[in-house]
Amino acid sequence: MMRCVALLLAAACAAPAQSGDVILRAMRDEMERSRALRIVSLEAPYFIEYQLEDAENFNASASLGALVNSNRVRLRVPRIVVRVGDYQLDNTNYVGTDYYGGTRWDTSQFPLDDSYNVLRRYLWLGTDTAFKAALEAYSRKRAILGNVNAAQELPDFWKAPPVEVIRNGSPKPVDEAQWTGRLRRLSSIFLDYPAVTSSAVEFQAGQSIQYIANSEGTRVRVPENVFEVRARATALAPDGMMLHDAVAFDAPDADRLPAGAGIERGIRELAANLSALAAAPAGDSYTGPVLFEGTAGAQILAELLGRNLAASRRPVLPPGRTLPFAPGELEGRVGSRILPEWMDVVDDPLQTEWRGHALFGHYEVDMEGVVPKPLTLVEKGVLKNLLLTRQPVNGFSASNGHARLPGAFGARTAAIGNLFVSASESVPAAALKAKLIELCRRRNKPYGMLVRKMDFPSSATIAEARGLLAASQSAGGRPVSSPVLVYRVYQDGREELVRGLRFRGLDTRSLKDILAASTEQYAFDFLDNTAPFALTGGAAFVSEASVVAPAILIDDLEMDRAEQAFEKPPLVPPPPRDAKAAAVR
Amino acid sequence: MSQKPSRRRFARAAAAVLIGACCSGAAAAQSPPPLVRILAEELDRNFRALKEADPAPYYMAYEVTEREAGAASATLGALKSSDRARTRSLDITIRLGSPKLDNYHRIAGERVDFTSAAPLPLDDNEAAVRQRVWLETNRVYRAAAARLVRIRTSQKVNVKEADSSNDFSIEPPQTHFEQPAPFLFNAEEIAARVRKWSAAFDKFPALVTSGVALAAQRETKYFVDTDGARLEHGRGFAGIIVNAAAKAADGMDLYSGETLDGDSVAGLPKDEAVFAAIDRVGSDVSGLLRAPVVDPFVGPAILSGKAAAVLFHEIFGHRVEGHRQKDESEGQTFTASVGAPVLPDFLSVIFDPTRRVFNGLPLNGYYTYDDEGVKAQPVTVVDKGILKSFLMSRSPIKGFDHSNGHGRRQPGLEPVSRQSNLFVESSRQVTEAQLRDMLLAEIKKQGKPYGLYFREVTGGFTTTARAGLQAFKVIPIVVYRVYPDGRPDELVRGADIVGTPLASFSKIVAVADRPEVFNGYCGAESGSVPVSAVSPAILVSEIEIEKKAKSDDRPPLLAAPPAGVVK
Repeated sequence: MMRCVALLLAAACAAPAQSGDVILRAMRDEMERSRALRIVSLEAPYFIEYQLEDAENFNASASLGALVNSNRVRLRVPRIVVRVGDYQLDNTNYVGTDYYGGTRWDTSQFPLDDSYNVLRRYLWLGTDTAFKAALEAYSRKRAILGNVNAAQELPDFWKAPPVEVIRNGSPKPVDEAQWTGRLRRLSSIFLDYPAVTSSAVEFQAGQSIQYIANSEGTRVRVPENVFEVRARATALAPDGMMLHDAVAFDAPDADRLPAGAGIERGIRELAANLSALAAAPAGDSYTGPVLFEGTAGAQILAELLGRNLAASRRPVLPPGRTLPFAPGELEGRVGSRILPEWMDVVDDPLQTEWRGHALFGHYEVDMEGVVPKPLTLVEKGVLKNLLLTRQPVNGFSASNGHARLPGAFGARTAAIGNLFVSASESVPAAALKAKLIELCRRRNKPYGMLVRKMDFPSSATIAEARGLLAASQSAGGRPVSSPVLVYRVYQDGREELVRGLRFRGLDTRSLKDILAASTEQYAFDFLDNTAPFALTGGAAFVSEASVVAPAILIDDLEMDRAEQAFEKPPLVPPPPRDAKAAAVR
Repeated sequence: MSQKPSRRRFARAAAAVLIGACCSGAAAAQSPPPLVRILAEELDRNFRALKEADPAPYYMAYEVTEREAGAASATLGALKSSDRARTRSLDITIRLGSPKLDNYHRIAGERVDFTSAAPLPLDDNEAAVRQRVWLETNRVYRAAAARLVRIRTSQKVNVKEADSSNDFSIEPPQTHFEQPAPFLFNAEEIAARVRKWSAAFDKFPALVTSGVALAAQRETKYFVDTDGARLEHGRGFAGIIVNAAAKAADGMDLYSGETLDGDSVAGLPKDEAVFAAIDRVGSDVSGLLRAPVVDPFVGPAILSGKAAAVLFHEIFGHRVEGHRQKDESEGQTFTASVGAPVLPDFLSVIFDPTRRVFNGLPLNGYYTYDDEGVKAQPVTVVDKGILKSFLMSRSPIKGFDHSNGHGRRQPGLEPVSRQSNLFVESSRQVTEAQLRDMLLAEIKKQGKPYGLYFREVTGGFTTTARAGLQAFKVIPIVVYRVYPDGRPDELVRGADIVGTPLASFSKIVAVADRPEVFNGYCGAESGSVPVSAVSPAILVSEIEIEKKAKSDDRPPLLAAPPAGVVK
């Protein structure tokens, strides 16, 4: 391990001449020069921040034994922030913050070579554009604030202590031929499952180094890696209902992905489950207790808590203009009970491992150069904290290091790292099912519902996700993912798989009705983004997240059947999957 | 070289001769590549099954476009990007009903789009390819069937169309298998070349941005249809793109660029030509920074060969695309003009996709088969000023029942008639020096203070729809004022050429004798397709220029960071 141990020692043990030196040096020197930026009678910048994501990505996918794409990209994506005014009132948190009418030089990608001169040139042009845009926004924002009857009480930007986090490490070579060979083999597993109509196995290796330098003195160089193997598949039920599911294996390092056999088992399980789903009966409306078994508990908590624990802020708008803006469900509820009093929630990005499992949501420093600490979000059921960035919100006074995704109007979006949900009172997992049956018996229900897998992050198509979003909005609720593997649990313990159900009115308020949690805990890793259902491919940026949580039994949930017209199954029968193709394996 | 390999080579040559001898028509004897065979089998299976459906297809085609591409770019000696990609995409045509009326029937202003450029496996793996093709065929069939129902209904309620020709033409099916030359792209070597070239911009400190890119591609198309067409064909493209930009003190963005073409990396021009282009582009933009801004002006002008080529592409080429003659939302400038004069009688316009090179330069609009499986062929559209024909896809129009091999598309869109290589030919030619003398005479005759010389243009656009203005715009980059009193030509900035098509043709006075090639990509309904236009310089008695729209933000506030300070 070549990593430095303590933050303060970091500078001392940084390698003398590594590639990042040139980048950080160019950043420092150009930032120094940029302090001179001012146009007569207008404001000078009070804060400048340069970020560079130096990325080396390899993606490939295969279907039924054949390679569908394979590509390797190196890119350096900068993010240049210039703030004018002061911490109290600046150009951000205004609906026109990101608008700029002038020339934008093509600095969206920085050169790949470590050329000090050219890097400075790009920083120079990027700073110039960002400064002009900031001035424009600042003057428009002030004009609006002069015209509206509401003073801005909150400051626009929180100060943060400068940090220096310099970590060695650079991308490791990825054996492309070996991975494409593996994908061909893994994807040919689906040849054995004729009910699966389309399928793919994808691999992505995203290795990057994040650089941050700001005018407060922060300097960051940290490697950030994402390795993911993901299989997705669709099947058609006889009535035309399209079913889809996916399985993903995520790790911060290629060596920490499961071995080939583990991935193969996961893919076979996916294919078998989907085949069973296609043959399963459609479910009926249901109200009553629902058991989220295994990682399904972590999935539903990741979605409900992860999304709603992020603080947000409505931007300044010109008078008479509206903007669709929905604050998180938990905003304004700090100090109130949101979970049973025997449950606690902590987000701790500094943890790297949980019971031997590499935690995907680990990070040392966030996008704004803030170092996170373990953060108690819920204590004995009571909401204590929200996930914060440097964007000031009511009731708090500083960032807690959760700026993980780009945001709008000059701010970043807060998201979880490693979310630990624990229960001080719990029962063995098997007892949860007995409890579900017992509840149903008491209430004279023929069966209760058990969810083994949620479609989160969703593998739906954009069109399906849009439909689900529209349906949940017209029902007056917030969008929540659909369950994929749902079983009726009869009083004799028998389970029956059903398809096509979704939740109605499931939101953070439902979490107060958690009846019981399992002693066993389950880790769930995923790639989070800002799209509804964390839809895979639904947003341009992702952040790594882990949730460790027990299985949970929630009372009084409503499920109903997604009412929609299905397309008829294909008129032409599927093509033969001949022995020749299968023999490739 | 040892003896063994040469013997083997000899053996292979002998076999080829034998095949040639036993089956006359050697090309036809070649067997189809695996992908064509797989596509043909799946096409046949789907076509037979769908024949039983209602509505039933009478024609189906699969086209697969395979692209291998590589690109690298650099600025001031530093590599900016380096990419490699290989993709295969599938486009499906399903025609339901009959050639008389099918699901592609034109409804004024409505754009049909059934196909989607579905990604296809890169391996010739039968199970994987067929599964994808099957699913995509189903999707296209559903969309096609839905539109046919709608068309049949609208036929009952709408007035009869002016052009009642068929929706589809039957053409002889072609069989031809020819792999384009292998794609050779050494990423490291090319990165070194673009770095070296781009560093030459160092000597132009006034530029804000500059760059050199090299992009190369091999495109292979596979085509099968239910009439029996089986094709494999394609070509290589390569280009070196040189560009630079700056900003004048008044906020006007100034830029210039040149592209040097080849059909492969090996066929690209040598270093000297690239450095010369960098010098031209660098000095042009630096010169423009000091140049005065033009005032709106009407008067005589010379358009260089490249500028004239773009002008013809915009104002003429787009108006002879066949499908526009049938669409009642189109302006139909020439629809009723077949057999009538449309250009000065000394001018002819020929479109010839079969021309691969011109004066040693590869032509971007070269191809052997179009995207509807029709063999490429030359078309004389205007002969000595008289309109003879249109560019035809397989969508017939009144008086033109068949395709002339100009049905083209970008993957993912439906083919329509598009341009290929446009050639402007003149029966009356003068030298470029004579052309300049004629310009000076024309300036004096009209009593104008100056005339204009358009040297470089970047492209243009035009509206052909009735709802829009029947106008065009050409964007010049390098324009000079030419004075009749012997003063040197003066570089000016901020001019756009604007005009209306019919009025512009009548102003062409004379044509020079040295054709120039403008290679580019043309965007229209069926996407971006590679095209060329070839024309000598022309003298026009009157051209109108207007002020270019400009931004009003200042040039960068701080001076550029010091160069060459640290290693």
